[in-house]
Amino acid sequence: MLFDSPAYFLFLIPVALVYWRLPHRAQNILLLLASYFFYGWWDWRFLALMIGSTTMDFLIAQKITAGRADSNRKKWFVLSLVLNFGILGVFKYFDFFTGSFSTALETLGIHHIPLPLIRVILPPGISFYTFQEVAYIVDVYKGRLEPAKSFLDYGLFISLFPHLIAGPIQRPGHLLPQVQKDRAFDADRFFDGLMLIFSGLVRKCVVADNCALLANAAFGGQFGPSNFWIVLIGTYAFAWQVYGDFSGYSDIARGSAQLLGFHFIVNFRQPYLSHRLQEFWRRWHISLSTWLRDYLYIPLGGSAGGRWKTSRNLLITMVLAGLWHGANWTFVVFGAIHGAVLAAERCLFPVKTKQKDAARTQHSAGVFSLWAQRILTFNLFCLSLAFFRAASLPAAVQFLAGLSHFAWRTEYASAFFMLCLFSIPLFVVDLLMEASNQEYPFANAPYAVRTALAAFALVILALFSGNNLNAFVYFQF
Amino acid sequence: MPSSTSSSKSPALVHARVLLGICALLVLFFEIFADYLLKHDSETYGRVSQQYAEAVKVRPSRSGEPVSVLMVGNSLLMEGIDVDRLQELTSSKMRIYPIFLEATGYYDWLYGLERLFRQGARPQVVVLGVGVNSFLQDSVRQDYAPMMFFDVRDVLGVASDLKLDRTATTNLLLAHSSAFWDARSVIRTQVLRHAVPHCRELFALVKSKPALPPSSELELITLARIQTLRQLCDAHGAKLIILVPPTRSSEDAVRQMAIASQKVGVDSLVPIDPATLSEKFYQPDELHLNSEGAALFTSALATYLPGEIGEPKSASSHN
Repeated sequence: MLFDSPAYFLFLIPVALVYWRLPHRAQNILLLLASYFFYGWWDWRFLALMIGSTTMDFLIAQKITAGRADSNRKKWFVLSLVLNFGILGVFKYFDFFTGSFSTALETLGIHHIPLPLIRVILPPGISFYTFQEVAYIVDVYKGRLEPAKSFLDYGLFISLFPHLIAGPIQRPGHLLPQVQKDRAFDADRFFDGLMLIFSGLVRKCVVADNCALLANAAFGGQFGPSNFWIVLIGTYAFAWQVYGDFSGYSDIARGSAQLLGFHFIVNFRQPYLSHRLQEFWRRWHISLSTWLRDYLYIPLGGSAGGRWKTSRNLLITMVLAGLWHGANWTFVVFGAIHGAVLAAERCLFPVKTKQKDAARTQHSAGVFSLWAQRILTFNLFCLSLAFFRAASLPAAVQFLAGLSHFAWRTEYASAFFMLCLFSIPLFVVDLLMEASNQEYPFANAPYAVRTALAAFALVILALFSGNNLNAFVYFQF
Repeated sequence: MPSSTSSSKSPALVHARVLLGICALLVLFFEIFADYLLKHDSETYGRVSQQYAEAVKVRPSRSGEPVSVLMVGNSLLMEGIDVDRLQELTSSKMRIYPIFLEATGYYDWLYGLERLFRQGARPQVVVLGVGVNSFLQDSVRQDYAPMMFFDVRDVLGVASDLKLDRTATTNLLLAHSSAFWDARSVIRTQVLRHAVPHCRELFALVKSKPALPPSSELELITLARIQTLRQLCDAHGAKLIILVPPTRSSEDAVRQMAIASQKVGVDSLVPIDPATLSEKFYQPDELHLNSEGAALFTSALATYLPGEIGEPKSASSHN
């Protein structure tokens, strides 16, 4: 069930209406059943996989706590990691690595080696719920979290439908207590939830889907052989598509959660206003980047071991982050580019120990310098997106090779105009939110103003959201 | 709603209710507005609904009368055939009932024809012309077609054939029953045409062209589809003719389609070999014929189509 489909709202409205009339335990039972229905809407067979994986981690967490000896606890912990990443590996990466191995053998002149391929469809949301389960097991093992005593609570923490398919990846310490405790209806939060849903729908259906039209055409060759202008249209349009798409999804997820009395962490904070890539990753897909920081980068040693070890850790983390996005070498290269640039930034601009120093530096840099850095960072991200979006490495290289040709067609002007029509309003909204530090535009305006804005958003949706072509980009991850 | 932190008079709750009420009213307004737009302002809706209504009334001709021909297809026929001229040139031999809807393909017409037959249409000949790529594509048009060509059972049939997931099936069902959902992409295109300069040219460029499957699969798919269409037409006493309009660089695909038709025992008609048509007969998209190309194609069709129709069963041999 896609968040931007009428089916989702036909599902959400009755669930929310019934939900607030029930006591706490019945609320959790309703939400668990609704979440399994939501997931099974795609394919009931994958539901068994998710329930199996949830049950396994629930039981292992009990064993980790019950086991007195450290060696026993460690065995269960390692078993859980192997099983979780094993399931993810089989479903998401098995064919990729087997195929790559086969290609490598053929390059070496070894042909006709029969290698098994499982050709299974990727279960929706597997990357997201696996990371959430791993976070839970790690936190329990490290003693940072008491394991859930009730399967109902743990099952709901993993499968709560607003975050189930594409996040934001919820930290056990943040969401599990919310599942376990009574939730009181809060009208302000309910209203904010509605506003977030409208904000998300506009981001997804208006900005992302219309930019997708241009990005698909540029990367699909409909504009002709790649050249400078097509690379610009393609990468810029895709940058706004993927931002509108995923931030929109996150807003709808957070809004839906708030209608049910839950709070989800913010997943995007105006990422295109970052002046460096380091800052960008603190603003973009925050739930993933903080997960990677806490459960991969820091355990690898983080920045504690000197310049080279820090660079190595950054590179490993970002390559794996790239691979998390999809089983393709294009994502590996995307991650490697980001890892390399982050390492370079670390060397060139050492992290300030005090925030005041950082703020002073930013202030002294001046507005022009700040905007120059923002533009540079945005364009660097856009270029790396060529690898994220292209179907293969040769296709990405061929696309970027067009940068040295400048053949112009009048249709490009229309494409840039259309791109501006949909991206500039979102950019202005980002500037407003940056200035006011709000969770959605005009969050502090009077209710009547916000109600009017939401009604206006619905009119905009009716006029501009007619594109049936694009499912959420992050659903494939 | 129960509340421990806010009463039912809380301004947030009041405004939430007002907002949901406004949403319901706006949805109702959009539905009525879209229905009005479709029926009073949409050329496509007006044209296709009129053509469809006439096609439903088609009956087999009596002996000695012109043969009744239902001609269905997409923009390749719409741009490539001057129907009035064709009717004029062939008036003694056939009476043509056209239904042309842009961007339609095999599944639109398979289910569209099923519904037409179900509603009582009894043409003696069905001519289907959508071009090779559209004939092989696995999709249906998301607007107009669900509302004008399909019943609920057809939508479910399409969803099953195309292996659509439940969300896509729901969207198609909604497009069948809601004027707004059906017309929303048309509304968006119209708004963009006013907002973006040269939008028409831009959209012509960015429209993705359906790709052909590998040639090994092409024949299998074509055979199965033509067979299904033939069975449908046979069951209702109509002769099926596959009309293959020319498109640039489509010689191989056209040949394969003609061979596949022959294998299934269906007549295929290629009035003009695409190899003989130069660039000057096409529109800039290299897909549709321009007025010169259309004149040539219409003349060729008038020459060859009556021959293909031959002597179909007359009314006396039909129910």
